[in-house]
Amino acid sequence: MSDFEGDPNIGGAPDEENEEVEEEYEEEQDERPRKGSRKDYDDAEEDEEDEEEAEEEDPGVERGKKRRRTKRPAVNRFIDDEAEVDEDEDEEEDADEYARDDFVVEPEEDDLAQRAARHARFDRQERELDDQDLAKIAENLNQRYKRTAKRFTSDAELPQRMLMPSVEDPSLWQVRVRPGKERDLVFSLMRKALDLEFSNRPLQIFSTFQRDSLPGMIYVEAHSAKQVADACNGLVGVYPSRGIVLVPIDEMASLLQIKKQDLTVTPGSWVRIKRGKYQGDLAQVMDVTENGEEVGLKFIPRIDLNPKDDASLDQLGKKRKKGPTGLSSFSMRPPQRFFNYEEVVKVYGRKGVSKRNQVYVFQNDTYRDGFIEKDFRLTALQLDDVNPTLDEITRFTHGQDGTETDANVDLSIIAEASRKAAISVLQPGDHVEVFEGEQAGVHGTVHSIEQDIVSIQPVGMDLEGHRIQLPARSVRKRFKPGDHVKVMTGQNSDETGLVVSVIDNVVTFLSDMSMQEVSVFSKDLREAAEVGTGTNVVGNYELHDLVQLDLQTVGVIFKTERDSFRVLDQNGQVRLVQPHQISMRRDSNRAIATDAEGHELRVNDNVKEIDGEGRKGRVLHTYQSFFAFLHNRDYNENGGVFVTRARSLVSLAPKGNAMKLGATDLSKMNPAMTGGAGGMVGSGNIGRGPRDRLIGVTVTVTKGPNKGYIGTIKDTNGPIARVELVTGNKVISIEKVKLMRRNQNGALEPLEGSNTMGPPRGGFGGAGGHTPNPYAGNGGRTPAWGQAGRTPNPYADGGKTPRWGQTPGWGDKTPAWGGTTPFHSGDKTPAWGQGRTPNPYTQNQPKTPRWDGSARSPNNPAKSPDRPSGHETPRRGWGSNDWEDVSFIDNPNGFRRPGDEATSPAANPYTGAPTPGVHDLYNDFRTPNITTSMVTPGPSAGDFSNASNAPFELSDQWLLETEFSSQRGMLVEVRGSFGPTGWFNGDYEGKLGIVNSIFDTQSPNFAATANVRFLEPLDPAKPALQVPVEVLKPVKPEKYGTEVLILHGPHKGQQARVNMVEAGGLMVVTTKQFTVDELSADKLVVVRPVD
Amino acid sequence: MSQGQASIPSQPRAKQLRACLLCSIIQTPADFRKYGCPNCEEIMQMKGYPDRIQACTTTHFDGVIAVIDPERSWVATWQRIKTYVRGMYGVRVKGRVPEDVEAELEARGIRYRPRDQSEQD
Repeated sequence: MSDFEGDPNIGGAPDEENEEVEEEYEEEQDERPRKGSRKDYDDAEEDEEDEEEAEEEDPGVERGKKRRRTKRPAVNRFIDDEAEVDEDEDEEEDADEYARDDFVVEPEEDDLAQRAARHARFDRQERELDDQDLAKIAENLNQRYKRTAKRFTSDAELPQRMLMPSVEDPSLWQVRVRPGKERDLVFSLMRKALDLEFSNRPLQIFSTFQRDSLPGMIYVEAHSAKQVADACNGLVGVYPSRGIVLVPIDEMASLLQIKKQDLTVTPGSWVRIKRGKYQGDLAQVMDVTENGEEVGLKFIPRIDLNPKDDASLDQLGKKRKKGPTGLSSFSMRPPQRFFNYEEVVKVYGRKGVSKRNQVYVFQNDTYRDGFIEKDFRLTALQLDDVNPTLDEITRFTHGQDGTETDANVDLSIIAEASRKAAISVLQPGDHVEVFEGEQAGVHGTVHSIEQDIVSIQPVGMDLEGHRIQLPARSVRKRFKPGDHVKVMTGQNSDETGLVVSVIDNVVTFLSDMSMQEVSVFSKDLREAAEVGTGTNVVGNYELHDLVQLDLQTVGVIFKTERDSFRVLDQNGQVRLVQPHQISMRRDSNRAIATDAEGHELRVNDNVKEIDGEGRKGRVLHTYQSFFAFLHNRDYNENGGVFVTRARSLVSLAPKGNAMKLGATDLSKMNPAMTGGAGGMVGSGNIGRGPRDRLIGVTVTVTKGPNKGYIGTIKDTNGPIARVELVTGNKVISIEKVKLMRRNQNGALEPLEGSNTMGPPRGGFGGAGGHTPNPYAGNGGRTPAWGQAGRTPNPYADGGKTPRWGQTPGWGDKTPAWGGTTPFHSGDKTPAWGQGRTPNPYTQNQPKTPRWDGSARSPNNPAKSPDRPSGHETPRRGWGSNDWEDVSFIDNPNGFRRPGDEATSPAANPYTGAPTPGVHDLYNDFRTPNITTSMVTPGPSAGDFSNASNAPFELSDQWLLETEFSSQRGMLVEVRGSFGPTGWFNGDYEGKLGIVNSIFDTQSPNFAATANVRFLEPLDPAKPALQVPVEVLKPVKPEKYGTEVLILHGPHKGQQARVNMVEAGGLMVVTTKQFTVDELSADKLVVVRPVD
Repeated sequence: MSQGQASIPSQPRAKQLRACLLCSIIQTPADFRKYGCPNCEEIMQMKGYPDRIQACTTTHFDGVIAVIDPERSWVATWQRIKTYVRGMYGVRVKGRVPEDVEAELEARGIRYRPRDQSEQD
């Protein structure tokens, strides 16, 4: 090979070429900065430095060297071109032709003498080779390769399969590592290997690698597991204990071949923007940087044409600091709109926009033909599942002025993308047509599909009877005008309609629902007979409902899908919501907001925006008197629903009754009373959910090293509470059993004993103040209320007061409680004095004692039994603002009950407590999370088979029946205790007690007894006694809201609550399983919480 | 040959690590600027030319290999980096070298294999 070294001609051509290449470099380098204006190099400064450096180096010398090195194509040395010369002269011409090729550079000389010399040389070489032994040849080759080491080399010639691992190769070992640390560890291992290289114990691993798609593991190449373990020893985040697993030899290669879904962008393709103002918007790729990291996009801008003052000032004077202009109190993203120079100048001033060539520059973005052109990083784009809709595409095609721009949008790109999907959407039986290939024009039904081959049964023509097989992508679904179709996928999914026209693969149909023409790709359609109807209701929510999404957010459902909703929230964001993500439906029928002119703005008013885009619409809902959700069929976006500020609306039809003061409730006009405040408090409560009510409670530690310390519970976790001690400001974790609740007066009570204690909040001014706790409603079903009543607690009222404050909110904003609480659905007592909720508290506590007749009550209430039906009374409280009027108080519930006092005067010592108000509250709050608020878990569904329609006769030993024997808390009355078989000589006859436990002796010789705690024991020291079960009779419920146990029927043995009392003693009860049943009162027994 | 060694980036987390499109070695942009590519500098000529580095290297790579003993390592063989220096390499590197490099490779009779595993044989 050295023969060529001196030949000046050799390599001449490549040298020139090299020059050219370098010139190209120069050009490129010049171009680059131009293009670079759109790029942001993070290190512009450093760039300058480097340029200086580059200048300092003597480029001539540097490049010259390189040039010398690259004089010849390296391949010449590997190609024995002399061999050709040795052949016939005819082939010389061919060789010359080769020479023109860059690949083999043939010296361009026809000097015969020289050629002869070379021939001679070749012959000599040949002879020498023959003489040399093979070992020498090998050595020669070896040397030849060694020399090439400094050059760029590549062993790219071997096909990959030749590189498959053999048994001689080291093995790969999989090592578990901490997820997220994989790359760090690979780097650490590298550094470790270099550090220890010349130590006495170098690492004996050959390589190690990590794949992003295989989290939590790295692979180490070594001969034995021990070497791997040695290498990993001492590294943090490696878990060698979890095994160093050998990778089977046939899986080694695939580890390195793992390929992420390769997403490539090509100019013209569609992408979606993942983040920012343009989130979700469709964009078209214009160009891609060479390394594929950034792409230039073109899309429809969203320019805020109603900027906040700040923003425009920013533009002009820069007097204000640049704040998050988009985040003003009511941030909404502006709608997509083509850039219009005049409009923008009108708003932002002439300075804001500059024009360069054909392009406008505005706020550092360039706009061309109405589109914005902007560079995005690839990572900020969504490349798959773009699914551009026809609407979006059309907007792109039509461009700014509505005229078809010169087809810069290639529909074939979408078609192509659609076609890929088409394979998966075909189903046997579909009517298809062939649109390309030999069979184009044939149509028929799909018979079967195997991967991407469909076999179709053609219809018509002479092909009939034969099945033909076709690639799935060359067929498309066929529809004809008049077909009734249903959309299967996409944003119009589940719409149905009649096809009116078919153009290629775009089918236009008249929707059954909206009576509008909808165009979709035929791939998304199926023939369907059904008419899309019931799609407006999913679960308990339906279209245009105002729903609470989380604490801060409400939204209006503008589209229902198969099992989810599209919801537009008050910030203008569209969310995809599953029914379970909705905490509740809200009602704004009674909500009132004020419009721009100060008039009342109600649901269903037709209004118009005074600023912005001047949209018109019908008010669907108002929220917090500030946001108004409007609906207008004419807008396509978000199903015609949009959100705006109530203050920027004016009524379209002047309202005659706007200021009829006599008829209008002034309190409603008062925003402080009606609007924001009330609603806000209410919503805050709803969103809060089941907070542990122990949080915030002041406790005393009663056991352990901290015994005697006082603190406040900050958090609870199962049996553990975190208590902030008053002393030393220390937070400790301690079991709840070691804590006692500490009352204001210093008395200690069991922490969780809310059954025996006052209402959780009752004793506690502070706590009650900051949590108007919905669960205080529990009090209604615990004796707590009763006790509070019997021992009037000065703090009790204080604790409850905050709840009153919010009540107006409830009352005014959300009257239809029945609707919002499915649990309570069909409640026939709507609006039970929501506004009256406060009343029961004050009223009932004193009232309670009266019921049990003990006259222990210090102040018997001024309750007049002859007050007419309470059913109507609360209504009066509604519209008027007399909810505050404490004097106007009664307990309507008490009087609704027909003849209860007469039948059992002492029946319900406590029932005063479950007043409608309390219970409504309780129910409402309970709805979001029923189970947590259950005090007594309902018994497991008992034996349902014993349901019979026979007249109900309770056995004497009813307490021993399996359904009841494990129950506690039944309110019983002692009856039949006189006589020889009696008990205590009938001293306890007529007394009421609560069953604590039942003791079944299982023997006729020994009487089964029940442990009963008497409410008014003869001997106060012994409130609980063992009573023979025979003398215990169930106490019937009488009142709405009473907790009961069902004695008979399919729900026998289940706990329930009386929801309604109907004529004839019939009661409608709801069990804990939420089944509703109607039972007569004698099939029920009152249940009290057992302490 | 194998005694050569690339500089090992000190911060593996660094987002800006770049991989050479030709030999898939991973270095920081600063190292590329200072030392060029340890394997293919001769052909890529990135040393001191940030623009060139932008064009010939990429941040889009998946998987990192620490090649400690390239000559004996099967991984290095498979990745066709056997003859290169020790250092960190990307398993998969997205993108193609600029056209001039491709032309140069062709001129030298070296088959260009993109590192994105798009070609398998």
